[in-house]
Amino acid sequence: MKKSMGVVLAAMGLLGSAPAHAADTIKIGLMAPLTGSWASEGQEMKRNVELLAGELNAKGGLLGKQVEVVIEDDGGDPRTAALAAQKLSTKGVVAVIGTYGSAVTEASQTILDEAGIIQVANGSTAVRLTEKGLKYFFRTCPRDDEQGRVAAKVVEKTKAKKVAILHDNSAYSKGLADEINGLLKGKTNVVFFDALTPKEQDYSAILTKLKAAGPEVVFFTGYYPEGGLLLKQKKQMGWSVPFIGGDAINNPDLVKIAGKEAAEGFQFLSPPVPKDLDTPEAKAYVAAYQKKYGEAASSIYGVLAGDGFRVVAKAIEGSKATTADAIRAYLTTQLKAFPGYTGKIEFNGKGDRVGELYRVYKVAKDGSFALQP
Amino acid sequence: MEQFLQQLINGLAVGSIYALIALGYTMVYGVLKLINFAHGDLFTYGAYLGLTLLTSFMLQDRLGLVLGLGVLALMVMGLVAVVGVVLERTAYRPLRESPRLSAVVSALGGSIFLQNALMLIYGARYQVYPDILPQTAVDLFGVAVPVVRLAVVAVSVVMMAVLFLFVQRTRIGTAIRAAAIDQGAARLMGIDVNRVVQLVFVIGPALGGAAGLLVGLYYGQISFTMGWVYGMKAFTAAILGGIGNIPGAMVGGLLLGVVEALGAAYLSIAWKDAIAFVVLILILIVRPSGLLGERVAEKV
Amino acid sequence: MSWRLLALYLAGAAAVACAPLVLDAYWVDVLNSVGLYVLLALSLNLILGDAGLFNMGHAAFYAVGAYATAILNTRLGVPVLWALPVAGLVAAAFGAAVARPVIHLRGDYLLVVTIGLGEIVRIALVNDVFGLTGGANGIFGIARPVLLGQKIRKPQEFLYLIWAFVALTVFLFHRLEVSRFGRALTYLREDPVAAEGSGIDTARYRLMAFSLGAAWAGMTGSLYAAKMTIISPESFSFWESVVLFLMVILGGSGSIPGVIAGSALVVVLPELFRGFASARMLVFGLVMMVMMVVRPQGLFPLRSLRFRRRDAERAGVAP
Repeated sequence: MKKSMGVVLAAMGLLGSAPAHAADTIKIGLMAPLTGSWASEGQEMKRNVELLAGELNAKGGLLGKQVEVVIEDDGGDPRTAALAAQKLSTKGVVAVIGTYGSAVTEASQTILDEAGIIQVANGSTAVRLTEKGLKYFFRTCPRDDEQGRVAAKVVEKTKAKKVAILHDNSAYSKGLADEINGLLKGKTNVVFFDALTPKEQDYSAILTKLKAAGPEVVFFTGYYPEGGLLLKQKKQMGWSVPFIGGDAINNPDLVKIAGKEAAEGFQFLSPPVPKDLDTPEAKAYVAAYQKKYGEAASSIYGVLAGDGFRVVAKAIEGSKATTADAIRAYLTTQLKAFPGYTGKIEFNGKGDRVGELYRVYKVAKDGSFALQP
Repeated sequence: MEQFLQQLINGLAVGSIYALIALGYTMVYGVLKLINFAHGDLFTYGAYLGLTLLTSFMLQDRLGLVLGLGVLALMVMGLVAVVGVVLERTAYRPLRESPRLSAVVSALGGSIFLQNALMLIYGARYQVYPDILPQTAVDLFGVAVPVVRLAVVAVSVVMMAVLFLFVQRTRIGTAIRAAAIDQGAARLMGIDVNRVVQLVFVIGPALGGAAGLLVGLYYGQISFTMGWVYGMKAFTAAILGGIGNIPGAMVGGLLLGVVEALGAAYLSIAWKDAIAFVVLILILIVRPSGLLGERVAEKV
Repeated sequence: MSWRLLALYLAGAAAVACAPLVLDAYWVDVLNSVGLYVLLALSLNLILGDAGLFNMGHAAFYAVGAYATAILNTRLGVPVLWALPVAGLVAAAFGAAVARPVIHLRGDYLLVVTIGLGEIVRIALVNDVFGLTGGANGIFGIARPVLLGQKIRKPQEFLYLIWAFVALTVFLFHRLEVSRFGRALTYLREDPVAAEGSGIDTARYRLMAFSLGAAWAGMTGSLYAAKMTIISPESFSFWESVVLFLMVILGGSGSIPGVIAGSALVVVLPELFRGFASARMLVFGLVMMVMMVVRPQGLFPLRSLRFRRRDAERAGVAP
C-alpha cells in the first residue's frame, strides 16, 4: 500500500512545488463556487472580478504594478473551501474576495485570518461571521439581521394577524427565520414556525399542515427551488394565501418552476438585481459587462464581489501599502461613502457594511421581477 | 379529520412513487442479492429522457394527452431499460462471482458516473417540465384533491398490479421467482438464469424510468441529483416490506409515504425523515425480515 | 505482521514525516485529510471488514465524537486533547446502545438501519437537539489543541498530530487482529454457524467490534473538530458514510494496509482529477467501477495467512 502512497506523494510533490511567481505583481485572490450547487453564482463572481481587474490593469494597475487575480474553486462546500483558503494562503495574495454562502465562508475565515490575509466576502450574510472579532474580515453584503428588519416591516405592512414562518433548516434560512420571528413577537401572532426538508419535491403534506394553521401570510426564508414548488403546489391545492420570500428566492428559475400563474404576486426581499442598479457608474458597468460577456449580469452577488475587489484596490491605492494591517486601517477609518456599484460603501469596526441595501420585489404577471417603490 | 384524509392522500401519492422505484430494488435483489445503488439514477434518467422526448416530439399535441403520454411512457421505459441492461453487463455481470460488497461499490461507482454524465449533458441547473397536465381538483369525501394526484396513484397501482400478475401467473414470472429462491436449482430445472437477470434489469429500470417520468410530469422540477433522495427512500421502502418480496415493496412504499405525511402533520415537519426511520427500525426489531419478508437464517 | 509490510509502514511513515519539506500547505492539508479518513476507514473496517456488519451510517459516530468534543470545549472549557478520550467513550456508549437491539439483523437490513441511524443523528443535529448542537450553524470557536505547551494550528503541525494517531491506530489494530478478540471475529465472519457452535458468543463479539469502531470514529471526530474549529451537520451527511464504506471495500475489506490505500485513493483521486474540471466526478465513478471489476477483492485484499506454503509442504500436500 505504501508503494501507491509513494507514487501519490511524488505526484503531490510535482503539483505542489510549482515555482512562485516573481513579486512584480499584486496578487488578489478570489474564492468562488465555480462547481457544485452554486456554480452559476461562482461563475458570475469570476467574470465580475476579472472584468474589473482587466480595467484596472489597462489603467496602469496599482502602485505601478499589475494586478493578478488568483482564483480557487470552493465547490460551495465547507471542506473544499478550507482547502481552497489554505491554497490561497500559500500563493502570496494580499487579499481574498469571496465567497458565496455563510457556512462556506466560515470554513475559510480563520485560515485566512491566521495567515494575515484580508478577506472581503460577498455572499455571506450570517450575523455571526463578523461577531467573532476577526481582524481582517469584511463583507460587502448586508447581514441577516438587516434583512430580518426589512422583512418584519414588510410583514407588518400586510396587516396580517396570523403569520406563518417556514424555513429549510440551513444556517442562512433558519437564521433569517429566527430573526423575523423575534422581531414580530408581540406585534402579530406567529401561528406556525417549522422547517421543510430541501431537495424534496412533494411539499403537499407541509402545505396541508400550514393551511390548517390558518395564516394570512406565509414567509418562506429558503431557496428558489423549494420556493417554486411551494408556490406551484399551493396553487394546485387551490389555496390563495400570499407568500413572501427572502433573498435566496431571487432567481428567474423560481418562475420557471412555479409557472407564471402560480408565481404572480409573490413578493420577496433582495438587494437590487443588477439591471435595477441606479447610479450612472453602475449602469455603465453593467453595460460593459454585457459587452464583454455577451449576456447581462444576473447575480447581485457577482456585482458585490466586484465591489469587494474595488474597495480592496482603493485601499491599496489610498494607503500605498499592501500589508493587511494597512488595508484594514484604510477600510475601517478612511473609506467613507465609496461609490460602489451597489450603492455607497462604508465599513464599521466589525467589518460589516453600513447602510441599507434591501428592496422589495414582486413577481409581475409576465413572470418578471418588478422593483417595488 | 379533513386534514387526516388530506394527509393520507398526500402520503399515498408520494408512497406510490416510492413503491414503483422500490420494485426495481427488490426485483434485482431477489435474483442477484445485490443492492443496485444506481437504480435511483435510472429513475432520474427516466425524468430527463422524458423531458427531452416530451419537448422534442410534442406527442401530447399530436396524439391527444392520454395516448400521447402513454406512448411517451413506453418510449421512456424502453430507453431506461436499455441503460439498465448496459449497466448490468458492464458493472455487475463481471462481479457475479465476487464478494457481494464489491458489486455494491461497483454500483455506487455506476451511480456517480450516471449522475455526472447527466450533469455534463444537461447542465447542473434544475430542469423544468412544461405544464401540460390539467389543474382541476375533484371532491373526495369532502376533500379537494387534484386530479393529477389521483392519476399518479392510479397509474402506479395499475403498473404494480400488472407486474404482480406477470410474476405470479406467467411462465417467465415463475422463472423469475424460481431464480430468486435458488439460482442453482433453477438452473438445474432448465431456467436460463442469465436471461432472468437480464429480464429483471429490463423490468426494474423500466418501472423506475416510468416513476421518473411521473415525477417530472407531476412536480415539474427535476434535478440530476434527485435519484439519491428518492433512491434512498425507495430502498428503505423495499427493506421495510421485506427485500426481495414484490408485494412487500408496494406495501413498504405506500406505508413509508403515509408515515412521512402523517409524521409531518402531527409530529414535526423538520423531524419527518427521522420519524420515518424510527418507525422502520421499530418494525425491523419486531420483524427482522421486514413486513412481508420470509424468515431466513443468517447466511453471509 | 510480515517484514515486508513493516518496511512499507516505515517507508510510509518516513514519507509523511518529510512531507512538509517538499509539499506546500495545501498538499499538507490534503495529507491531513487523508490521515483523518484513514482513521475513520480503519474504524469502520473493524465493524464492516472484521465483524462483517454492514454499517453505512458510520458518520453518526464520527459526528457524536466531534460534537462531544465541541460541546465539552466550548461550554465547559475542557482542552481538546483531554476531550478526545471522552469523545471516544461517548461514541462507544452511543454505538453500543443503538447497535444492541439491531445487531442480529441480516446484512442488508442492518445496512438500511444504520443508514437510518446516520440520518436520525444528522437530523437531530440540524434541529438543535437539547439546545446543545447549534442547529445548522453547528458549533464554532473550538479551541486549538495544545500539546506539550505548543499550540497546534498550522497544517504542518496537525500533520504530525494526526499521523501520530494514525501510526498508533495501525499498531494497535494489527495487535488486535492476532488477539483472541480478532481471531474470534475472523472466525465469526468466515463461518458464523461453526463459530457459534464452538462457543463464541456472536452477539457479544459483534457488539464489542461495533463499539470499538464507534469509539475510534468518535476520537477521529474529536481531531476533526480541533482541526476545523467549526463543525456543522453537513460534514456528517449520508454521503460521508458512503465514502467510508467505499474506502474499506475498495482497499480490501478486513485488510489494514488495503484500507489505508483505499482511503488515500478516495481522497487524493478527485484532487488529482481536478484537471478534468466538471468531469472529474464522472471519471472518479468510472475508475471505481473499473477498479472493482479488475480487482473485486480490493486493492490489497486480506490474505488468510494461517497456512503458509511450507506448512502445506510439511503436511505433504501439493500447494
